[in-house]
Amino acid sequence: MDLLSNLALGIETAFTLENLLYCALGVTIGMFIGVIPGIGHLAAISMLLPLTFYVPATTAIVMLAGIYYGAQYGGSTASILLNLPGTPASAVVCLDGYPMAQQGRAGVALMMTTVASFVGSFITVIVLAAFAPPLASFAVAFNSTDYFSMMLLGLVAAAILVQGSPVKGIAAVLLGLILGLVGTDVSTGIQRYAFGLTFLYDGINIVAIAMGIFGVAEVIANVGKVKGVQSAQKITFRSLIPTRQDVKQSIMPMFRGTGIGTGVGILPGTGTSIASFLAYAVEKRISRHPAKFGKGAIEGITAPESANNAAAQSAFIPTLTLGIPGDAVMALMLGALLIHGITPGPNVISDNPSLFWGLVISFLIGNVLLLILNIPLVGLWVRLLKVPYPLLYPSIVLFIAIGVYSINYSHMDIMLVAVFGVLGCLMLLLGFEPAPLLLGYILGPMIEENFRRALMLNQGDMMVFVERPVSAAFIALSVLLLAWSAYSMVKDRRTARMAAGQ
Amino acid sequence: MIKMTNLPATSSFMACALTLSLSLPAMAADFRGPVRIVVPFAPGGTSDILARYIAPELSDAIGQPVIVENKAGAGGNIGADFVAKATPNGHTLLLSDLTALLAAPSVLTNISYDIEMDLAPVTMVSYSPYVMGASNAHGFESFDAFIDYSLENPLGISVATSGVGANNHITTARLMQELGVEWNVIAYRGGSDATRAVVSGESDMLLNGTTATLPFALNHQMTPLAVTGEERLTELPDVPTFRELGMPGELDGTYQGILVTAGSPPEIVERLHEELGRIINTEAMTARIAEQGGIARVSGSPEALGEWMSEQKTELAAFISDAGIAQ
Repeated sequence: MDLLSNLALGIETAFTLENLLYCALGVTIGMFIGVIPGIGHLAAISMLLPLTFYVPATTAIVMLAGIYYGAQYGGSTASILLNLPGTPASAVVCLDGYPMAQQGRAGVALMMTTVASFVGSFITVIVLAAFAPPLASFAVAFNSTDYFSMMLLGLVAAAILVQGSPVKGIAAVLLGLILGLVGTDVSTGIQRYAFGLTFLYDGINIVAIAMGIFGVAEVIANVGKVKGVQSAQKITFRSLIPTRQDVKQSIMPMFRGTGIGTGVGILPGTGTSIASFLAYAVEKRISRHPAKFGKGAIEGITAPESANNAAAQSAFIPTLTLGIPGDAVMALMLGALLIHGITPGPNVISDNPSLFWGLVISFLIGNVLLLILNIPLVGLWVRLLKVPYPLLYPSIVLFIAIGVYSINYSHMDIMLVAVFGVLGCLMLLLGFEPAPLLLGYILGPMIEENFRRALMLNQGDMMVFVERPVSAAFIALSVLLLAWSAYSMVKDRRTARMAAGQ
Repeated sequence: MIKMTNLPATSSFMACALTLSLSLPAMAADFRGPVRIVVPFAPGGTSDILARYIAPELSDAIGQPVIVENKAGAGGNIGADFVAKATPNGHTLLLSDLTALLAAPSVLTNISYDIEMDLAPVTMVSYSPYVMGASNAHGFESFDAFIDYSLENPLGISVATSGVGANNHITTARLMQELGVEWNVIAYRGGSDATRAVVSGESDMLLNGTTATLPFALNHQMTPLAVTGEERLTELPDVPTFRELGMPGELDGTYQGILVTAGSPPEIVERLHEELGRIINTEAMTARIAEQGGIARVSGSPEALGEWMSEQKTELAAFISDAGIAQ
């Protein structure tokens, strides 16, 4: 068996003392980085990159990768406890995680997201080991037309995220799309809405938006409110243990989330945020009790959590098999390989089998470590809620500021967080939701870029979107989803009218 | 043969002469406090890797810590602007792709520094040739076949670039002008996205650095049709250079160089030039630069780099406005 001998090679590589140590170091750093709002894995990895000069290539990548997927675990902790996401990808976990915490189920939520993270990662690593090369060729075959149609489906799904008034939800998505316009237009090189400010040439930093509209807005909204309510909660060991019902309700969402995350993560340029948003939308759409979502539905945290972890792992597939990085973090990993004299490209696996298989096995080890590390910490994190407002919230604002600054070393990004904090407060007061805005912001630029590129490549022929099978399938799904939404709206109205008539 | 045997003796003699002549001003040019190398791009790219190779060596040479800082954004102009406005004491260096910065005033509006007035040249570091790689989708086997097809099918070939105004966009535009062909130029979000597009067959061709293209060319996922530079690449001995094909010399690839804040003390700049030149020309550093697909190339003097830069800048400005790349 080829796979078996490869795995044996991987085990041999990953279980050296040095690699084990660096793996543990990486995942531990990653986990804490993920918990702290604003400080992202990108900043952490670029800061630690120089350290890896002095260790072998495999060890370096094992550690840097550990930070990346480790951060996916911690991201949801602050989402659940404080309604402010540790990373943009875990913003969607706020929707149901925070209500769970308010119901005194913070411990359960943290426990289940840890398990969901583990399931998502572990399954995806196995997929990575078994099918990396064929999956990579699928990723390459995906072209601009298909990207456009997939992102369109994502935008249609954004409507599902909306909890309150649909009109306000759509307005939030549109505002997100407009914010996405800021910066240099890829197709023409024109600066749009940058007002001659160089720091806006690359668009608004997504972390600044996420931390502003979720984090700072939440901090301001909680002035004077938090104290009495949450410190009254007693933390018992029992309150940390999920019920059988919780587990039962989470199994299928975790698998679906993993599937969605793996699929999205393989595609270069999509990222973990889209995976978690899509997974949430799917769960809400297929649930028999969609009304429960937004009020503490366990599926609403486990599915997206599995999805973002799965996406973080499957992002390694195009990076390692093709040498094509999907995002800035993956580009950094390839940079680390270059520093060690390994040219990224389609032959990385065949030229350096011990690197690839050692990394795969280290992923498994790292995820088991993360599970072991996270479960005892759940009790500790929950105690964070007992920290009084005057201590906890100002330190959060400080962490957000440090975190945002660490991405580009730009003080303007901190200003942007403040601006978006005010915007987030206004939205909160007026009943607009931040999650659809964030999704609109993420998807907007990708939709536009791929739409225009697809048309440029096909001499403006719109038919191309329905001629390619993959694209056609996504378009059909979007249309179905829209039709279904319209139908259920009409049906709801009719039943409401009948109920009123009785 | 005689020339060969004489070479080491001559060069060591020259090195002696150099050290002698330079040892005097070097005394006055001491560094006080840490030196920063600002890289105006994200970590992991060519400029960043070069800076991280050079930093520890420079630190040994000047006896001060040398820190690499990434200030990415606006195509390198945010980091360059930062160095342009730093205290002019020669302790803040910029290591960047020079063509990108030289083209910027012609491509972007609102560049808030003047590369010739606000930054001072120190030395070139390396030069990386471009490989012209075609997608396998059309099955082109030679440069001529590709051009013939392009001439017969105006806009029938789509060429991927790393972005509007990027180096390879300018080179693509130059080729179109030179060859009289009309290509459908498609901007992507960075070099790896453009590479993905050509490997997948979505676009038909791209010009990109050797590090990015060679692995795909050697793995037959892309067909190399031509390379820039003076010589053929050792990895692709059958692929002709543009010069062999009768193309002009400007189709040259990318240049990495080190600049410093303008107004820095001349003796410090001279010392930097001397130390960096020595570091870059060591065998170990040349080999590491070659691993990144580059060829070490130190400027004879800061002034020589300055002359090269202003020539390039004027030339790029004229070309960019002619070709309609600027907005």
